Amino acid sequence: MAEKGHTTVWPGIAGLAIATGYLIAMLGAEKQNLIIILLAAGIVAVLAAGWLGLLETVSASFVEHEDALAACAIGAACAVAAVFHDNHFVLLLVITVLLYSVATLGLNVQFGYAGVLNFAGASFFGIGAYTSAVLSAYTSVPHLLVLLIGGLLAAFAGSLLLLPVLRTRGHYAAVVTIAFALLFKTFLEVNDVLGGPQGMQVKGMRILGWSFNDNIEIGKILLSFYMNYFVLSLLLLVGAFVLVRRLERSWIGLNLDALRLDETAAGCFGLDIVRWKITAFLIGNFLIGIAGALFGIVGGFVAPNNYTFADSLILVSILLLGGIGNPWGLMVATIIVVVLPEKLQTIQEYRFLLYALMVIAVLLFRPEGLLPRPVRRYFPGWRP
Amino acid sequence: MDAGLLAQYVMNGLMLGMMYALVAVGFTLFFGVLDVIKFSHGDVLTVGAFAALATYVGLRMLGLNSSWFELVVMLVVATLAMAFLGMVIARYLVMPLRSAPALNTLLITLMLGTVLRESVRLFYPQGANPKPFPALLPRASIDLGEFNLRLDNVLMLTAGVLVIVGIQYLLNRTKLGLAIRAVAQDEETARTMGINFTAIVLVTFALGSGLAAFAGVMNGLYYNEINFGIGLYLGVVGFSAAIIGGLGSIYGAILGGFLFAGLQTIGTVMLPFASAYKDVFAFAVVIAIMAWRPTGLIREKISERV
Amino acid sequence: MSALLEAHGLSKHFGGVQALDGLDLAVTANEILGLIGPNGSGKTTFFNVITGIYNADAGRVMFDGADVTNASARAIYQAGISRTFQRSRLSLPLSIFDNIMIGNHKRLKQGLWFNLAKRRDFKREFERSYADARALVEVFEPGLAGRMFEPVAGLPMIDRRRIEICRALISAPKLLLLDEPSAGMTHDETAELMNDILLVRKRNKDLTIIIVEHEMGVIERITDRCVVLNFGRKIAEGPYRSVAADAQVQEAYLGAA
Repeated sequence: MAEKGHTTVWPGIAGLAIATGYLIAMLGAEKQNLIIILLAAGIVAVLAAGWLGLLETVSASFVEHEDALAACAIGAACAVAAVFHDNHFVLLLVITVLLYSVATLGLNVQFGYAGVLNFAGASFFGIGAYTSAVLSAYTSVPHLLVLLIGGLLAAFAGSLLLLPVLRTRGHYAAVVTIAFALLFKTFLEVNDVLGGPQGMQVKGMRILGWSFNDNIEIGKILLSFYMNYFVLSLLLLVGAFVLVRRLERSWIGLNLDALRLDETAAGCFGLDIVRWKITAFLIGNFLIGIAGALFGIVGGFVAPNNYTFADSLILVSILLLGGIGNPWGLMVATIIVVVLPEKLQTIQEYRFLLYALMVIAVLLFRPEGLLPRPVRRYFPGWRP
Repeated sequence: MDAGLLAQYVMNGLMLGMMYALVAVGFTLFFGVLDVIKFSHGDVLTVGAFAALATYVGLRMLGLNSSWFELVVMLVVATLAMAFLGMVIARYLVMPLRSAPALNTLLITLMLGTVLRESVRLFYPQGANPKPFPALLPRASIDLGEFNLRLDNVLMLTAGVLVIVGIQYLLNRTKLGLAIRAVAQDEETARTMGINFTAIVLVTFALGSGLAAFAGVMNGLYYNEINFGIGLYLGVVGFSAAIIGGLGSIYGAILGGFLFAGLQTIGTVMLPFASAYKDVFAFAVVIAIMAWRPTGLIREKISERV
Repeated sequence: MSALLEAHGLSKHFGGVQALDGLDLAVTANEILGLIGPNGSGKTTFFNVITGIYNADAGRVMFDGADVTNASARAIYQAGISRTFQRSRLSLPLSIFDNIMIGNHKRLKQGLWFNLAKRRDFKREFERSYADARALVEVFEPGLAGRMFEPVAGLPMIDRRRIEICRALISAPKLLLLDEPSAGMTHDETAELMNDILLVRKRNKDLTIIIVEHEMGVIERITDRCVVLNFGRKIAEGPYRSVAADAQVQEAYLGAA
């Protein structure tokens, strides 16, 4: 690209710092009035920044110095956790954001890169969660392995569902996954082995004797037991992020884009459409399943009501709001979608309606989403 | 199995098939005319049913108690209201996205469906709970041996058949139908022939949505109950039916609707202990059919210039 | 000189329309063959059948000694046939480099492990591919060579066509099918494009080209030989001069005298 002039790493750091500070303030605020004021201020600030071109600068900074800024983002996440180290509620919220991000990263691989529709994301998330529940209740499989199995089962279930319709048009995959999403909930509810409508308890995690469900004391400081899960979730997110990034910045990512944008032409240049669609779908479902498995353990119980079609649509909404194909936009959207209804209790009930309306607005007026996906740079900062 | 039970199953199957067929025909109309999958179709059905219910409540409050009168007014109000809604959807949500990838239209109508569904759940009084739907058709029935043939079912089936025949007539024997078919085949040529494209699209959407309202009222009369989620389910079934019949073919949609109902009935008979699995069975067969004949049992119209 | 591509009795119908009607056609190695004929005579259909997008109803296709009748599009590409499309089919949101790399599929390592884990090796392949793509683009439009990571969507039509041709050439095919490359271009742009193609041909002696065109000036200038189609069958064949003078050809284009 015509070198528009280097952007340094500082706009990115500044943006990250401000966002982190804002998030901490928002998470810590208790009074509804304060929250609404913060929200309004935030919206105004973002709009102003956009108008002044500051958002573009921050974006460019992220594109050029992504590795450094990603490391800073990890630090920022740790900072947030440190501030709320003894607050169960906030830590659980943060973990939810982390794990939903992993799930939406998976969905992004399927939907954003390969263009394979999946309206049953929450169901596969649920498969992972129920795997945790069942394995920890009836077996003594080591818990980390349980996570892995959850991911594999979700991938396997996905392949059963999708293989028959891979050679057909997009709307077939749509109806198949919607049908699955509707039937999955009913399936869970009628099966007493899986706890029926009440669901099942999930035992807390234990790795090498370290129990994740006990609070930690370091000297005079008491850390919520959720810190254990926070660390694990953060590691999972970092792993998922690196995986998805590398996937996109490789010939495989190119293949997926090619088949999404023009299947016929891609076939004329040797692309094995079916192979790559399956690969993308399996990888995506694997991530969704692992996230679900961990989330089940963190939450302590699983129930059919958490894995409905409406929940799947929330995941899709995050993807569309954040900017399809852009992992950073995705994570920002996840934060918004997860945190907002928890803080603004009044909109909890309306959240499905609200997000659907927002997505409609986005599709009509800004289909690229909050953070549009930039052109592929195989190695950020690389110059010929 | 005895004849009476068999006849009962057949009757159920016919009723369900009729409703699915009505929904599937709607999908086919939209796809044919604009190449769009309008995922909000099922939820328009829900809104239609609730509109009818609200009309009923309103009529009752005005002290008008004649069943036939109420039924007619409900149908008229629901159908017109949904026709209007369909046109609004077409004009403001679907047509602006024609130049965008087809995926966007699918997504926007999916989200719209959620908006409609949630609006009913949140804003209709007690919308989250199932609501009783009045039984406005005569309750008479005839006993044919072991089988109890209900008059209201016969009436509904007949009405459904009439509506479908009416649609066929409209499409094949009228100028309007000709215009619709022309637009469905080739937009550009239709335009050059002087057909007002936008008007035809709006009319088609109105038609399909009115159809959904009719199906919604029928659904309410059959089950004596409606809830905010019926449209979602019927939409998925109707869409599957339209696909296996072959998107773009009215006959295929009707065929698909009855086929799905037939599969459900077979599923219920085969698995009497777990009727919840009838749907799993039916959808499994549908997926198999999709895999075997991706263009549907009657060819789906795909035209792509390479 | 042996025939690189041979079609025998190729037929294809769409509903009631017979697009190809027992077509016999042969292309010798290293020649530039012009494929001409009035609209709807079957030229693009011929390309689509050859490249595996449609299955032929009857007939055979031999390429480089092997029977490739109704082979898949992927197999055709692997065998060494590459093409451009009548309606420009680039992936608009992707960069110039990405679009060209799509055409380079068979020369890139596609393994999951290589792409995800062996990043240093991948980087080397990436840099090599970048150099190849850039060199190719430079032949056609040096101004683009420094903008390899710009999205294609922002480019004018002529540059897009050039990129499409680069995409078709990057895998060093044996046979290149050009479908109306000059569509939408001015006279000068077309002349430039043809010069570039000839230049590529000079550098790449092994390349055989079939070009579908409506601009007779182009055909006259760069082709060795022409085949004229009408209603899906061949009605004339030979150097442009003789074919242009053929009565049947004139009637096909202009109607009976």
